[in-house]
This record gives sequence, structure tokens and C-alpha cells, in this order.
Amino acid sequence: MRCAECTELLSAYMDDELMRDEQQAVREHLAACAECARDEQALALTSRRIKESFMRHTTPDVLKARIRNALAQDDAFTPPVPAPQPRGRPRWAALAAAGLVVAIASSALTATLMRQSIARGSFAAAITDSHIRSLMPGHLTDVVSTNQHQVKPWFNGRVDLSPAVPNLDSAGFPLAGGRVDYIDGRAVPVVTYTRRQHVINVYTRPSDSRAGDVHESRNGFHMIEWQSGGLDYWAVSDLNSAELEQFVALFKRG
Amino acid sequence: MSQRDVDRFERIVLPHLDDAYTLARYLVRDEHDAQDVVQDAVLRAIRYFEGFREGDARAWLLAIVRNCCMTWLRQHRGERNAVPFDSGTLSLADSRETDARAIQRSERAALGRALDALPDEFREVIVLREIQELSYKEISDVVGVPIGTVMSRLARGRKRLASALGLGVKEAS
Repeated sequence: MRCAECTELLSAYMDDELMRDEQQAVREHLAACAECARDEQALALTSRRIKESFMRHTTPDVLKARIRNALAQDDAFTPPVPAPQPRGRPRWAALAAAGLVVAIASSALTATLMRQSIARGSFAAAITDSHIRSLMPGHLTDVVSTNQHQVKPWFNGRVDLSPAVPNLDSAGFPLAGGRVDYIDGRAVPVVTYTRRQHVINVYTRPSDSRAGDVHESRNGFHMIEWQSGGLDYWAVSDLNSAELEQFVALFKRG
Repeated sequence: MSQRDVDRFERIVLPHLDDAYTLARYLVRDEHDAQDVVQDAVLRAIRYFEGFREGDARAWLLAIVRNCCMTWLRQHRGERNAVPFDSGTLSLADSRETDARAIQRSERAALGRALDALPDEFREVIVLREIQELSYKEISDVVGVPIGTVMSRLARGRKRLASALGLGVKEAS
């Protein structure tokens, strides 16, 4: 066997994937040729380093849950798979950009849009502060309960709306309790869930708008805003955005 | 899909979910994108499952995942010219780190960058062989190319990674 041939077969030789006579021929060549033997050692070391350096992954629980969920719903298979949601870029930025275009034609409309956008931004900033404050010892909940039927009535008489408090325990988001925060001049009910060591705060306020979900990040916290039943919900957490999305999807389903 | 098929799917396909996720993680190189791609692939697998009767369920699932990853990569080419190296794929270094380990760690990072820099068709055979330990026949089924092609891609991929480690190996002419 010549060196060129050996070089070509070396990698498959190491994997024991050659025919028996080829395997034998390479072995004999390596015993006689120092240069090819050095190449074999280099490739074997590389292969060992790859195996040591890279790990096999385990499927995250959230993905298992999504798949189990799909398997549990018979009709989940027929419709086309929805495209993954684009992450990270808040839609209100696009809205504001659109507002600028409209400004040329109608300054009044622009003013309204900008006002909403600013009002929204200040609420987002306020609940980020509230979320951070809630993580300090002793600030998380006023009513500590894992029972939705205790948390929901607790808000009666404390706030002027009744927030949704779905039971998401079986999906791995146990309820931790509730509290009332004073944000932007009004008492806002906050329902708290947990996921492993992460806290998810859900804020509720009355809403007259009807936009789609809005995702954003502030200070490393993820936020998702959505509307349901005339109320505006905001979920805030340091949880990764995929799991927070999953949480919101489950919350909406109630 | 009948309840019996669901049970069968759970019994013979789902045990390979970690393999599916590992492959996607190395091909699309982002934790969340990998999750989306695997979810998409498994939903497809559920839909095609009636057509799967006998054979290697792992290779069958990996082939679907691999195709979904390649489609995803084609769709996102361009946006991902400067993907940062997904260091989440590296094995954790020991916390009591000695000098030797620090060297090893920088070697790992170099290897990670070199793996990332490989063309997709080389990277996939390296991952399937070295990390997931499939045979050439299984890789050929997953990727959909002849065994001879698997062999030559693997040889070339390994040589590139060897040179990233500073180990020169002569090229086949």
C-alpha cells in the first residue's frame, strides 16, 4: 500500500469501517511507515479530544412538555406546524416607526400613537422595578398560597378587577401566591408563579386596546404582554424567553 | 393517529429525543432555535409515523431532524454569518481548575470554534460519528448519501479539526 492510499483510508480504518483485507493492509502499512503512523496518532488524539470536549444534550423539560402536549391532542398533527415566533424585537418599535411615517400626513394620529407607546414604556419600566423589588426577601407575596381558589378571592376589595389565576401546577408552573403593587397611580394585582428557582410575576390592568402579544426584554428580564377579556396582562421573569412563552400560552388556555 | 399508534410512538421514537435534540443543537447552534426545530421535526415524525413500520427508529427520527435543521439553516443563511460559538455545547470543566485544565479548556474552545467553522455537511457527520457514535451505515441513512461519501467527509472534517489542535495531518491527494 502506498501512503496516498493509506491517508485516504486512515479515518475509516480507525472506525473499523473498512473491508477486512483493507483493514489488514492499512495495519501493515502503519507498522512500516512512521509518517503515516504519526498521522494516525494525530487523528486518534483529535477524535478523543472531540469526544471529551463536546457533550450530548438532554432534552429540556419544556420541549418534552411541548411534545407531550402535541401527542395528547389528536388534532395537533393535521394543521401545519406554526413557524417559530421571531424573538427579541418588540413590535411597538415597528409601531413607532410606522407612526413616524404617518406623522407626515397626520400629526394627530401620530401623537396618539406616541403617547400610547410612551405610556406603555413607562408601565413596562415600572413593572420591571416592581418585579425586581418583589425578588427581595419578604416582598414576593402578600397572600401565600398554592391554591388558585384562595388567591383569586383575596384580591376582592383590594383591587377593582379580578385577575385570572389559572392552575398551572401540572405543567410545572406552581402558583406561589399574590400581592398588590401600587404602579403608575393605581393598585395592580400581581399573581406569582414559579418555575424551578425562577419567579414569574403576572400583572393585570384594565385595557381598551386589542393588540397581539408583545415581547420585550429589560435589564435581562423577559416580558410578554397580551390582552384577554378586557384586561391587559404582563408576565415578567428572568426565565428564558422560550419557557416564558410556554407559560403565557398555558396561562391563556387557563 | 390512534391511541395505539401514540403508545407505539412513545415507546419506539421518543426514547431517541435526546439524540434528536443533540443533533439539532450542534447543527443550528442555538438552544432555543434547536428546540423549535426539534418540535417541528417531531410533529412531522408523528404525521409520517404511519409510513414507518420496521427498522431503526433512531436513524429514522434523526433523518427527519437533520432535514428540518438543513431547511432551517438554508432559511436563516445570511442572518447567521457571525454566529457566536455555542459554548453551551462544551462539557463542563472541573471547578478545581489547574493549569493543565486551563490549557485543556482553551483547547476545547478552539475545537468548538473549528467545529462551528466546518461546512454543515462536514459538521453533521462529525457530530453523528464522534458524539453520537453512529455507524457509517446509520450515518448514510440519516444524511442520505452513500457510505463512501460519509467516509470521505468524515476524513476531511477530522483533518480540519486536527489542524485546529495544531496537529498536522497530510491531505489525501
